[in-house]
Amino acid sequence: MDRSRKILIVDDEPNIVVPLQFLMEQNGYQVKIAESGEAAIDLMERFRPDLVLLDIMLPGVNGLEVCQMLREDPELKETKIVLVSALGRDVDMAKGMAMGADAYITKPFSNREIVARVNELLK
Amino acid sequence: MRAGNKFWWFASISFGLILAILASLTIIFWRELDPAQKTLLLQVVKEKFGYLFAALFLGLAGIGFLLDGIFHIYILPLVRVKEEAALINSANPGHRIQPEGSADLIELAGEINELADRYDQIRGSVEERIQRAKTEAEEEKNILAAFMAELPEGVVICNSEGQILLYNRQAKTILAGRASSESAAENHQSFIGLGRSIFSLVEKNLIVHALDEIAEKLERKEDNIVSTFVFIGKDERLFRFEAVPVLSADRKLTGFILIIFDITRELEKESRMGLMIDALTRRSRASAASIRSAIEAILEYPQMAPGQRDRFERIIQREAEALGDLLDQSTDELAEHIETRWPLVRTRAYDFLETVRKKADQRLAVRIDIAVADPDIEVRVDNYSLMTAFLFLIQRIGKAEGSFRFTLQAEQIKRLVNLDIRWDGKPIPGDLLRRWEQDILSVESEQFPLSLKTVLLHHEADIWSRSTKQAPGGACLRIMLPAPEISEPEKIRNITILPDSRPEFYDFDLFNQAGQDPELDECLLRELAYTVFDTETTGLNPAEGDEIISIGAVRIVNGRLLRDEYFDQLVNPKRWMSRESIRVHGIQAEMLEDQPTIEQVLPRFHRFAEGTILVAHNAAFDMKMLQLKESATGVQFINPVLDTLLLSAAIHPAHSSHNLEDIADRMGISIVGRHTALGDAIATAEVFLKLVSILAKNGIHTLKHAREASRKTFYARKKY
Repeated sequence: MDRSRKILIVDDEPNIVVPLQFLMEQNGYQVKIAESGEAAIDLMERFRPDLVLLDIMLPGVNGLEVCQMLREDPELKETKIVLVSALGRDVDMAKGMAMGADAYITKPFSNREIVARVNELLK
Repeated sequence: MRAGNKFWWFASISFGLILAILASLTIIFWRELDPAQKTLLLQVVKEKFGYLFAALFLGLAGIGFLLDGIFHIYILPLVRVKEEAALINSANPGHRIQPEGSADLIELAGEINELADRYDQIRGSVEERIQRAKTEAEEEKNILAAFMAELPEGVVICNSEGQILLYNRQAKTILAGRASSESAAENHQSFIGLGRSIFSLVEKNLIVHALDEIAEKLERKEDNIVSTFVFIGKDERLFRFEAVPVLSADRKLTGFILIIFDITRELEKESRMGLMIDALTRRSRASAASIRSAIEAILEYPQMAPGQRDRFERIIQREAEALGDLLDQSTDELAEHIETRWPLVRTRAYDFLETVRKKADQRLAVRIDIAVADPDIEVRVDNYSLMTAFLFLIQRIGKAEGSFRFTLQAEQIKRLVNLDIRWDGKPIPGDLLRRWEQDILSVESEQFPLSLKTVLLHHEADIWSRSTKQAPGGACLRIMLPAPEISEPEKIRNITILPDSRPEFYDFDLFNQAGQDPELDECLLRELAYTVFDTETTGLNPAEGDEIISIGAVRIVNGRLLRDEYFDQLVNPKRWMSRESIRVHGIQAEMLEDQPTIEQVLPRFHRFAEGTILVAHNAAFDMKMLQLKESATGVQFINPVLDTLLLSAAIHPAHSSHNLEDIADRMGISIVGRHTALGDAIATAEVFLKLVSILAKNGIHTLKHAREASRKTFYARKKY
């Protein structure tokens, strides 16, 4: 596993962040946490993650907006984006994909599924 | 001309003639005399002047008395007989002539009375038949009325000008609130009534838009011809309107039916429920995610550090508890199920954008092109609110970017329809767009009292500002709507088509009435709308501080007295009342203590009388009362005014009394509740209706004629 691969987890709910962080670290990724959209944008420049696990319902700037910003930034637009959201309707999923996400995972998810998607995207 | 004036004309002309004849005879006689006879005659005249003068004076006086006798016995009674015969012939067939004057005239009056009796008899049998037919019609009408009253929805039928032809009780409750209640808090209420405009109750733009939509649907020969819109009424209540056109036999729009549902409650419940379900799903998903992820980690990594394992177990416990609480909380609220009442109607995206284009062209003077590759793309929209949202956005972009040319695009990508507003220029920054979302939708001076966000939320729509990179060739605002499900059945209401003959139940004459003609003067008296009113006051001197204590009014529309649409309000005069006035109207000071003041009542009355001709008996007095309150109340009564006293005098100059009782008596009207404002107003209205038919026989047909006739009598009465 490539040690330099970096993942940013953006979620305001610590009870999901803890297991996600554990899971990603167990799979050999370097992980940082952001609890809001603003914090995520902030970290993006310094941390330069390869992939973002992004919640949609965030306080302040929401996940879809972060997604759009990443896609418009020439330096960051290659970042892989996985939306991890409790919004589970088809319409929500379609909107997320329309905003340029690489994958959309609905909560609750299986650990295996999310790890598989992340590995696949970072191959 | 008054009878007394006639006499003096008659007397002076006769007298003048007699004097002229006497003078001529004297001159001819004088010429035929020779000088000796002349000298003799002059001498006789000089010596016996007293006798001659007395004879002449007595002779002339005799002639005077004779003339007066002839006038009072032959001429004046003849004029009265003529007027009273006309009265029998028009307003009051039960009236009989009081015989007076010469024997011939008394006989003539007797003959006329006998004729009237016989006519009465014949009419009686005809009337009996009419009565029977009327009763039958009345029964049918009652069935219709009962049926209308039982409908849970409000129903209003209007002609193409927006004048109300028919409404039911629910419509009245919904649109006008409790119209006859007397609390001052309802000062700003509008009135619903036959012949009134619906536009005073429902914003005109909404209805015009609905009618435009119907016209377009008719042109496209669509099956579902109904247009729906949502209207925010009094006290923030939310109504869903269905507009159904009424077409003539040749399919022209002659009116429309509004069916009104109060959806305030449903919508409140629905939005609460929506929020609740949303939160429930989101939070249970989040909890389930934490639990699942944690437990899977424990299972997958059995050799993890004990500290780490503890953390995961605590997460599982806490989230499981949270999930239980969440479900407990939601169960009660979930019990009520609710369906949405703010309807989204399936429309072709192209048609919708075309409406936006037209309105933007009319209202914002903005040039819009439409680029829709696939004309079959459909969206589900509330036409008016989403259209207003588009106009709002176009207007805002225009101001922010200085653009006056836009392209509207529609494209469907799987289950989403993107409606794009494109223009040459910079994209709208995200934070600005978020501020716009919070704003109430307003286009030019017109406001739709919901925010952009609310309207978008209701459409399950999202809005994005897209940059030039994403949308090459300019900036773009994208509104993403979910595409409609493949097969959604639409409720279809049938169109009402009037038969060639007129329906039997109601008076639909207003269908044919010309629009709001500014040339009121040329309108026929029997076609105008009137507010007949009366005031009771603390005394008879408005200029010396006497105040109004009661206003009563009824409406006449298309020649019908609408007894159910009345205005009846006591007023606290905030001053002492004289005993004499209490004796006249019977209103005690205690009855007025809790009543609203004139400052509260007059604006309401002003709205009640809006757009009608004011009618009162001895209107000058009542108008003076109203005008003295103009500065205090801020309302001005500029309606045209007619006075039943002057009109009565214009057609019955021979009658000396024109007070309300005497006129009513002459016309066979009995007054119920004399000296209550409403009772007097009703009597005045009945008198007025009879007067209108008599006026027509005298060649007075229009408002202008009536005013001129009144003016003449006014001066006539003033002079003598």
